[in-house]
Amino acid sequence: MNRRSWLIIALVVPILALASSVYLKNAQRNRGTEVILPISGFDPRDLLSGHYLIYRVDYGVAEGCGAQQGQASVCLRPTRGLYPAGALPEDCTLFIHGQCDGGVFSAGIERFYIPEAYAYALEQQVRDHKGELVLGVDSQGNAAIRDLLLDGKPWKNVVGGMD
Amino acid sequence: MTSITKLNQWLQAGLITPAQHANILSFEAEHRQHSNGWLYSFMILGAAIIGLGVISLIAANWATIPETVKLGVDFALLTLLALGVFWQYPKRHNGVWFEVLLVGFMLLCLASIGLIAQVFHLGGKWYHALLFWAAITFLLSLFARNLFTRFFWVTLLLQGLIWSLVALTNPNISEHWEALPSVLLLAPLLIAVLYYATTHSKLLRGFTSSLFFWFQIAAIIALAFADIVRSGGEMTDYQVAWFVPAYVAAVLLAVGILLHKEYRWLNKLLLLGALGLLLLYYHPDLLFNGQSRYSLFGSQAHAGVGFWQADDIRAPLLTLTILFLYALHAGNSGHQRTFNLITFLIGLRFVILYFQAMGGLAATGVGLIISGSLIIGITWLWYKGRDRLREWTKRLQA
Repeated sequence: MNRRSWLIIALVVPILALASSVYLKNAQRNRGTEVILPISGFDPRDLLSGHYLIYRVDYGVAEGCGAQQGQASVCLRPTRGLYPAGALPEDCTLFIHGQCDGGVFSAGIERFYIPEAYAYALEQQVRDHKGELVLGVDSQGNAAIRDLLLDGKPWKNVVGGMD
Repeated sequence: MTSITKLNQWLQAGLITPAQHANILSFEAEHRQHSNGWLYSFMILGAAIIGLGVISLIAANWATIPETVKLGVDFALLTLLALGVFWQYPKRHNGVWFEVLLVGFMLLCLASIGLIAQVFHLGGKWYHALLFWAAITFLLSLFARNLFTRFFWVTLLLQGLIWSLVALTNPNISEHWEALPSVLLLAPLLIAVLYYATTHSKLLRGFTSSLFFWFQIAAIIALAFADIVRSGGEMTDYQVAWFVPAYVAAVLLAVGILLHKEYRWLNKLLLLGALGLLLLYYHPDLLFNGQSRYSLFGSQAHAGVGFWQADDIRAPLLTLTILFLYALHAGNSGHQRTFNLITFLIGLRFVILYFQAMGGLAATGVGLIISGSLIIGITWLWYKGRDRLREWTKRLQA
């Protein structure tokens, strides 16, 4: 193979990799089962970091990670509970994989990108426990964010009222 | 002084004949490079700033623009730049546009990762994003002709790789800053491993100088950090598990040193010695306990602490020994600039040691005179002695 052919491959590889990433994330978001979970700011001082909101997702689990560290899963149906990796009950039909660190369970959905102009107002709403996250959860336990609800309405509708 | 001025001086001094002078000037005129470094650098800098602008625009998070439009425009730009790079490829020897478009494409790939993260609200780590970017642009980086482009790619690769490896044993590294020493130890060891790997491959040799530059920077930072925190009795609260990636890199590095064909046995011994001491420096609780301090003229109590057991004595001794071993290797291998840098650092550490030991004395008039004399003395010794030391290191093998 000559150098021109290698250059074509070198240029196509990043475009294909990025396009595949978009396709996979889109599929993950749209195909999964819809789940709505409440969110709250876990530390008001660090709630807003740049142009995204950071929050804690309330999985409705009575006991958190505690001293548990590393890979873990939250079962959402039929009974909610947090389990170490590989210890999910057999009857669990809907679950989210993530990991425990410092007593907190995280599944890569703890960040929501927002416009800077509305950052403060949205931060207040989330802090007041008015926020909910709409997720798509696939059968492998991967969760993807579909939308952020404020008082039960999509955040863009709420922001439209602020203009 | 320009080369033509020097050439004229040689002609006047009779070192070269007028015919040779004319021949050299004619040869240089024929083989003058069509492009110059400044032009390349400014054009690439411009491309880099445009790329940063694109990233900033994406970061501004236009809520009103549908995500399909954002992603569509992004991929259209990527395709256009890719076509531009391909179109300029045959002209790469004569112009700067190939390199500028190449850097632009690579930067837009990075911006695209940010855009995808934003559109899908991905909560991934920045170092995983950099590693992904380095992986998808690796083939393209091999086509880079300018040192800056390769240096840029190597810099982001190292950031992504080092932090990702440390995160394997400590997932939330950004919240556990006490794990920073494991990053600082891993950095020079991993970069040295990559450096040796690139010297064995003709394809990757373009990255060698960038890796060597970062190795020296990372090694100096690692040594300075260990020296400061060990002397101060810090770095007592950390886990051996955090250092596992660094230990794996150290084993690979030791194998790389042993298998290096250009090193003689003395170089191998010196480098392995320096590596072993650096690991000892960072390893928890082997040589340092954070409790034993010995202040030569200070007011701190040091009853029961032997001179050689004290952290603030062992730390500078280790630093000086590691630097000395590496200086011997550099001198013995003919790396003059590295040798000069390391011997300068040895002198600097001696001066700092003096201030550590007699800090209070330096506040007095006599102390200041002694301090100034010491600095002049060490500088003079370094200046006068470095050539002899270098010659001695070269003769060591014999």
